Amino acid sequence: MLLRASGRTYDKTYDLAAVTGTLESDGGVPHGRLLVGFAEAALGEDDAALARARDALMTALGPPGLVDAAGVVGLFNAIDRVADATGIPLEPEKATASADFRAALDLDRFAVSDRI
Amino acid sequence: MTHLYASTSFPIRDDLAAAHARAWARIARPGTWWDGAERVAIAAEARLAPSCKLCRRRKEALSPLSIEGTHDSLGQLPEIVVEVAHRVRTDPGRLGEGWYRDVIVRGLTAEQYVEIVSVVAHTVAIDTMARGLGLEVLPLPVSVPGSPSHYRPSGAKVGGAWVPWVEPADAGEVEAAIYPRDRLPANIMKAMSLIPAEVRSFFDLVTHQYLPGEVMRDFSREYRAISHAQIELLAARVSALNRCLY
Repeated sequence: MLLRASGRTYDKTYDLAAVTGTLESDGGVPHGRLLVGFAEAALGEDDAALARARDALMTALGPPGLVDAAGVVGLFNAIDRVADATGIPLEPEKATASADFRAALDLDRFAVSDRI
Repeated sequence: MTHLYASTSFPIRDDLAAAHARAWARIARPGTWWDGAERVAIAAEARLAPSCKLCRRRKEALSPLSIEGTHDSLGQLPEIVVEVAHRVRTDPGRLGEGWYRDVIVRGLTAEQYVEIVSVVAHTVAIDTMARGLGLEVLPLPVSVPGSPSHYRPSGAKVGGAWVPWVEPADAGEVEAAIYPRDRLPANIMKAMSLIPAEVRSFFDLVTHQYLPGEVMRDFSREYRAISHAQIELLAARVSALNRCLY
């Protein structure tokens, strides 16, 4: 949701399909494809792929950008665990605001209320 | 305070390194329901979990609960604690309320459970960043002797989550400061409010490793070396990979 809000501020439209990792383009976000590839590699187990993704992102963003990207990946890898392990629901206002792209991207299959 | 990353070549911001140092120190100290040695042992189990054979078999299974067995563990904690630390670390996207209820029936209190989740989350945040940068993980801290505080917010009650939480209106003096004063807290802030100290600690990490709450929606300027849009794309992709709708 904040990605879309950011785009509205700058009158830009981001292709939210980038979130699913299916886009070959940047989705309108500068270096978006490299960022997605880095996130995927950091959460994966292929060290060589991660090294390549890291090098590519550092070339694009510089070392401070890479550090902040790694920090965000780490932090959300943790936040997701807090959300999923405590079973918190999506707030009604967020659910309403995100209903269209959750449906379009089939994200509702991740809802905690559907798990046993 | 010694810069935790002084020996690395990456320009890790001083405020971020200091936040990691504070988080590590807090893990080592007696918590609310676990002592320092137990908290460090929980962090160690979180690190061990990806190589646990039972966790790998469950991860590959259509239904993780259909696979029985014993976790590969360090042997310092009861099996039920290891079960929580390993599952939260390795398969968070398939945790269900039935599993949570079973964990409680098997002997953990909701308070103990939330503190385990918090210690695992702190460890994951710091370790994943290190992996992203190709750094060795930080050595686990040395535990500090002492007893847990056993503080339970009197206003905690069952709400919208599996675990009890504290609504802002029910917050007492101790937990009032964990929530912003100018807006309602997001559910992610209430998630661990059964243990106020863990909310304070985790959101210290959030502030420095992501963004302070008050600037998350301030798109008029950038606060990091990457833009809001780049940050949110990373966050959204990670959450999708973790199968986390929130």
